[in-house]
Order: sequence, then C-alpha cells, then structure tokens
Amino acid sequence: MATVRRRILALALVLLLCAPAPATTADDALVVLSWGGAYERAQREALFEPFTARTGIPVEVQRYDGGLEALRRAVADGEVPWDLIDMTRSDAMAACEEGLLAPLPPDLAAPAPDGTPPARDFLPDAIGRCALTHTVFATVVAYRPEAFPGRRPTAIADLFDQQRFPGPRALQRTPAVNLEWALRSYGVPREELYRLLSTPRGLRLALGRLAELEAIHWWEAGDTPARLLVEGRVVMASGYNGRFFDAMLRDDAPIEILWDGQVQEHEAWAVPRGAARPEAARDLIRFATTTERLAELARRIPYGPARDSAALQVTTHPDTGLDMRLHIPTHPLNAAGAIVKDEDWYAHTQSRLDDYFEAWLATDGCRISLNEPCPSP
Amino acid sequence: MNPDHALTERGPLAVVRFLGLVLLGALIGGVAALAAVGFVTAVLWLNEILLISPRSRMMFDHPAALIAATLAVPTLGGLLVGLLHRAIPEKRPHTPADVIAAVQTRRGRLPARAGGLSALTAMISLGAGASVGQYGPLVHMGATLGSLGSRLLRLGRSEDNITIACGVAAAISAAFNAPLAGIVFAHEVVLRHYALRAFAPVAAAAIVGYVVATTVLDQGALFHVAETVVPRAWEFMLFVVIGGLGALVAGAYMHAILGVGRLATKLPLPATLRPALAGALLGLTALWVPDILGMGQETLRFATIAGAFGGGELLLILLLKLAATALCLGMGFSGGVFSPALVIGTLFGALCGTLVGQVAGAPPETFVFYAVCGMVAVTAPVIGAPLTTLLIVFELTGSYALTTAALASVTLASPIAAQLFGRSLFDIQLDRRGLDLSAGRGRAVLQATSVASQVTQDCVTLPPETPVSEAIGALGRARHAEAYLVDARGRYRGCVLLHDLEAAQQADGGRRPAADVIDAKRPVLRPGSSLWEAMARLEEVSGEALAVVDDHRDNAFMGVVYEAGIARAHRVQSDTLRREEHGNG
Repeated sequence: MATVRRRILALALVLLLCAPAPATTADDALVVLSWGGAYERAQREALFEPFTARTGIPVEVQRYDGGLEALRRAVADGEVPWDLIDMTRSDAMAACEEGLLAPLPPDLAAPAPDGTPPARDFLPDAIGRCALTHTVFATVVAYRPEAFPGRRPTAIADLFDQQRFPGPRALQRTPAVNLEWALRSYGVPREELYRLLSTPRGLRLALGRLAELEAIHWWEAGDTPARLLVEGRVVMASGYNGRFFDAMLRDDAPIEILWDGQVQEHEAWAVPRGAARPEAARDLIRFATTTERLAELARRIPYGPARDSAALQVTTHPDTGLDMRLHIPTHPLNAAGAIVKDEDWYAHTQSRLDDYFEAWLATDGCRISLNEPCPSP
Repeated sequence: MNPDHALTERGPLAVVRFLGLVLLGALIGGVAALAAVGFVTAVLWLNEILLISPRSRMMFDHPAALIAATLAVPTLGGLLVGLLHRAIPEKRPHTPADVIAAVQTRRGRLPARAGGLSALTAMISLGAGASVGQYGPLVHMGATLGSLGSRLLRLGRSEDNITIACGVAAAISAAFNAPLAGIVFAHEVVLRHYALRAFAPVAAAAIVGYVVATTVLDQGALFHVAETVVPRAWEFMLFVVIGGLGALVAGAYMHAILGVGRLATKLPLPATLRPALAGALLGLTALWVPDILGMGQETLRFATIAGAFGGGELLLILLLKLAATALCLGMGFSGGVFSPALVIGTLFGALCGTLVGQVAGAPPETFVFYAVCGMVAVTAPVIGAPLTTLLIVFELTGSYALTTAALASVTLASPIAAQLFGRSLFDIQLDRRGLDLSAGRGRAVLQATSVASQVTQDCVTLPPETPVSEAIGALGRARHAEAYLVDARGRYRGCVLLHDLEAAQQADGGRRPAADVIDAKRPVLRPGSSLWEAMARLEEVSGEALAVVDDHRDNAFMGVVYEAGIARAHRVQSDTLRREEHGNG
C-alpha cells in the first residue's frame, strides 16, 4: 500500500513538473492527456495535426500512465489542467461513477460515411455515458525467438513454463492481465476467468502460478518491455501490442508476438469535469472518432478501430507499406484466443486488487522479482 | 378420430399427420428453449443483484452489508417460496418426477398453473442462492409447455407424451448446448422407450433448442476441458472403482434429501416457513464456507484443477454441499437435484484424484479425468440416466478420451446404485407416492387406471334376507353364478355363489336367508381401485366379478367389475403401449 502511495505521489510530482506553466502553453491550446511514445506519435499524425489544420486549435499533449489519483485531486482542487483524457474504459467507468468526468452527449460521434448511425457502427457498449471508445488495444506477450531454439510458444500457458521456455520474464506491475493469464494457464475457460477471480481461491491460485516463475522484471511505463526484450534482459514480456509492433517496425527488434491470451481492452476519450474547454474537447472527440481518422490511426499503430466502417478501411502503413490489418488485435487470426477484459469488474475492484497485489509483491512476489528485493526481516 | 388409431395408420394422410407432429415438436422446442433461456438469464440477473454470485460479491465493497445479504437473501427467498407453494394444490413444487409419472402412466396433461408456479419458485430459490439445481425446473417447465401445446391442439394422450418429451429435450439441449443429450434424456428418463414416431419430433425440438441457445444465449459451456493427455491403462481400473464408490455417494445424497424431507414433516413448524429456516441455516454456513451457495459452478470448475483444494478441504465442502442441498430440497425449496450432484460428484472425483496422486503418484495432467469420473458416477444414478450423462460429457468437452473414462466410471455406478437404492431419485420419490416404476410402464399404467370405467350394474342384486331357494331361482333366470346382497339402504352386504346356495338348499330346504351363505373370502374393490389392484384381487378368488363398494358412503354398492372386463382393459392398454412404443409413425 505504501508503495502504491509512493508511486502515486511520484507520478503526481512528475505530472506537476511536466505540466508546462500557463505562460508556456499556447493560450488557446487544447490540453490532451495521452500515453506517449509510439502511440502519441501516431495520434499526432492521424488526429491532432489534422484537427489543428482544420480548426486552428493547437493541441498540446501531456504524458499519462493510467490511474485516477491525479484526476481525483485535480477535480477536488477545482483546477483541472487537461481538457481531454485518453483513458482505458475501466478507468473511465470508475471515474464516471465517481463524478470525475463530464457526461458526453449521446449523439457526439459522427455517422459512418455511408450514413450508418454510430450506435450500429461502433462496437457494442463503445458509446458510454462519460466516455467514447475509439480503439481496441491488447496486452500481449512478446518473446525473443532465438531464446528458444527448435520451439516457440503457442499458448499463454507457455509464459509460465520455464522448463520448456527458460529465461526471465517482464510483466506489468499490476494485477490486471497477469491474473487472467495465470488462471488461464490452469485451463480455465476465458468466459469463467472473472467469476473465478472473484473468489479468494481463484486469486490465490493465480498468484500461486505467478510465484512459480523464477525471475520477473516488473515494468510500469509502456515502452519498457520492448526495451527489456531488445536488450536481452528478458526473453518474454507482456506489453501493449502497438508498442511491440512499433519496436519491430522501427527498431527492427528481434521479437515476435504471441497472440494467444491477448487481453483486449477499450481505449476511450473522456472529458474531465471542470475542464477549461469542454466544447473544443468534444469537437476533437467527434473529429478523432470519424471513420476516416480511426482508419488513419490504425494505419500508424495497430490498434483495432472501435467502429466497423473504420476497420474495413484500414490499409497499409504509410511509411513501410505493411498491411496493418494483420497486426491489429481484432483481426480474426489474432483474436482466436483473446480475453476480453471485464472492465466493469475492474472499475469496481481495481483499488482492492492493487492493494492485494502489492501486499503479495511485498511478500511472496519479492522472491521472484528482479527489481524488488525482499524486505529484510 | 380415435387418437390411438392414428398410431397404426398408414398412407399419405398419416405422413401429413406425422410431419405435423414433427413441426409441432420443433415449435414446442423453440418455445421451451426460449423459456429456458429466459429462466437462466433471470436467475443470473437475480444472483447479480442479490449479491449471490462471486462476481457481484467481489464488486460490492461493503463487507458488513455483504454479511447481512448472505443471511437475509436465502431466508427471505425461502419465505417467498414457502408462501407461493401454498397456491399449488399439492403444496409442493412439481418436479421431473411428476413429468415421469404423467408420461409413464399415460395420464398426461401436466397442470399449467402448478408448472408455472413451480418454475417461478425455482427461479426465486436459485436466484436467492439456495443449494439446488436449475436443470430439474427447466425440464419440468419444458414438459409443461409441451403438454400445454398438445392440450391447445386437443391431441391424444400418445401425442401428449411426445410433446412433453419434446419440451424436455429442448430444455436440456438449450441448457447444456447438447442436443444429443437432450434427445437421449427425453427417451431414457421420460419416455423410457425408443419409438421412431417419437424420435423425429423430439429430435426436432432438441435441434431448435440448440439453435436458440447458441444464437440467443451466449453462454459458455458448463465445463470446458481442452485435454490432450490420455490416461494410463491402470488408471481406467481406478475409474471403474470410482464409479462403484460414486454409487454409494449418490445413494447417500438421495437418502439425505429424502431423509430431510421426512424429518421436515415432523418439525413443529408450518410447511410455509420451512424453506425460510433452511435459507437461514444455509446463509449462516455460507458465511464460513461460501462455496455451498447457489448452483456452485465456481466450485465445480475449481474441483477440476489439480491443487485448487486440499484433500481435507474437498471432503469438508463435499459434505457441506451434500448437507446444504438435502436441507434446501428437503425443507421445501424448489429446484433440481442434478447441478448439486454435479458439484458433489466432481468434488468426490477430485478427492479420489488427490488421494491417487498422493499414493500412486498419478500425474496432475490426468487429474481432470478423476474429477469428471466422480461427476458422472454420482449424477448418472441420481437422475437414472447413464447414457445422457455420458453424452453431456462428450458434447461439452468434445474429448473422446474423457468420455471413455466416464464410461468406465458409469459402468459400475448406475447398476450398483440401481441395485442398492433404485433406478433414480425420481423413481424412489414416485415409489413413495405409490407409483412403482420398477416393473416398467405396463404395470404403471395399470396402477394409474381406475376400475371406474369397467364398473357395471348388469349383475344380480338381492336383498340379504332373500331365501336361498329364491336366490337360486333368480340366478338361474339371469344365467349368472353370483349374486350381490344389497340391503334396502343400498349397502353392500356380501356376495353369494350359486354352488354355496345349492349346497345350503340341499342341507335345509332353502328357507334360510341368503345372507347366511355369504362368501366371506370374496374381496371387494373401492371406486378408486386401480386395474392393477383389481387383477391382483382376482388372482385370490375364482369368480366372475368383484363388487365395487364405496366405504366413504357407508359401504354403498356401486356395481361390479367382471373379470372379462378387466382382462379386456388390460389387453387394450397393452396394445396401446405396444403400438406407441413400436409404431413407426
């Protein structure tokens, strides 16, 4: 728990330091909180720059690593420094319930080019009260193929099989995804994961599986796992599929993606309550979720567009000519073993799960952790 | 048109009638499957909002309120169920046993009101977390809908039996995503014969049920085992042994339910309040062991994972689940016996697997085989359906190795349980209600058919004081050998036989009253006596008929039933059954 607080404080401090002073911000810039790295680069090209070109409103992007603490504090203080947040839907649902987000008008999204209304074009449940899903991203496992001569992992259970696939792993320092994969490795069907994780026995089993691993490097920032793999410090790592793709494409990283067990999650736009420019923020949401813009985004980073019309328009990468359809998580070839994250469940359990996970990390987890020494007795 | 005649009809019209029946089967299948889907959805919804499902309990972050809900929900649910059961004539929920009785005795016509109320109380019981199953209520609901369809179209008893079976097949098919199991269950448990004429409508219903379930209800399989390992040869021997021991667990389970039911009637507590008491006890125990709440699907899944439970834990939860189910069903909650039996059986199999692992070092990869073997060993005897249980395993897992292991287990389980306890819990319950199905359908039909239709007044009746000589004369004129003495108030006084009367006349000239030579050994029948009872009584005497006497109306003489009439009724019933079971449409 203390570690969580320390991390949150550090994050808040970083945000505070990173946030440009009002004097340095363009007076009329729309401040967007997003995830940095390759993802932010793709968003700039596909969404923000065309938006500025069309409306004249400059967009300033600040770095976000998930969570609601900073938003809670900002809303409580009445000084919200962002106009728009690109957040996971489970966070958005929790924030909406806490009253941290401004409700969005139901007719915000634009119709498809052929006139199909958004309700029929978007994925089910994509249009929420406070958030509009724009893409589907996945947390996947990537691995160094040369680390396992003569074989390659084919199922998510292989992540936990260090006899056949020896070597250290990098996993995100969060209960989400790790618990699902651990329980899946016992042969639990995807449909039953969250029901079983709702029991103490299920959580115990999942953490027991994680504890069987010999060396885990816990990562927090999205670009870390690809770097750890490239540097050869781990042989398998969890991470966002877009980041791994970007590493493979730009850095020619010697890694491959294991699609089995990918955990799909919605990424959504949300306007914080008390934002300075909610009207312009909504304009950006409407613009960024048009069929054309979503398809353009997916051409640059392989996240599945949340509307059917856009998914059909995804073509090749503008620089390399790669067919991007084969790299998005929702492509049928990749989605065969996908786990759909139960965001409602996480929206209600995240903080307790975090505490439970951190408590485990401080005891059993520290024995397998490469970056967390066990507290001395 | 005589509906029984349709059984042997041939020609184009018969084909049209048969196709109509298949179409009706498909229609009933669709309606029953939709009802089953609605039922399951409603139960899941209730489990969510009433904080019974683990998912909702996890998402609800108020521990004190959770404790209160764990105690209050089953108690109040029980109270509501108890109150609703007062509106059913028998004051108890109807179950698959009633469906079997209706079909086996050809009484048909399941009452819609009792069926609807039973489905409602089962939904409340399951929604409130009672340790009962959902498949029994689904089967009964499907059967009631089938019977209703037949009644609306004014079809005969044979068609009624088939439409009942259609509803049953569709319910099982929709609930398990297992159409073959649905077809076999309807034949194995409900119809208990395989007629081509019934097969096609039942199959149509099961297929429609499957299609509805897979398109409308996006539910996962009850259990899903993607197993590639094959057990070692010696492990099959263990599966057979698990079957034998599972029969004993099944017996304990069935007798615990019946025992609590008997005990409940002796409690100084109105029947209406009994489910509430059971709910309170269940909630109290669930605070300590939450695994016993509800249908126990999570427990079922964990029991298939090696190491999820310790050995002692498995035994404890097995015993508590068995006791909780016996308590809930015995005290009057409405629900089935199959789902809890699945859980108990899987826990039992897991216990065996754990012991074998510790003793013989069996690899953990085959652990799931032990769990599934235990599951079929306990459930097959309880519902009296070894083939259905095997097919459910096959259709749900798609694993031939697992089905073969289950076959090894069920080989001993069902016969041993049948020898020790009876064919199924349903049959034991019916036996205790006076319907013995152990000798097959022919006897059940005779047991369920009253002699009333065979009673005739066409016999010689005399006042008891009639002199013997006059009685002989009256019998001679009527060309009968037996006369029935009925007094002025219409009361039956006995039967006199011609040869006794003639002997009396030779002895003293025939001036004595006929009442002096009554055949004391001649039994009588009651208006409600069954044909089966009449046949048994006739075996005791050599005479032409038995008197029917209403002892509720001061021994009023109702008439007689001739031996020839009983024999004729027996032959007609047997012919109908034979045609129904062997007719090809």
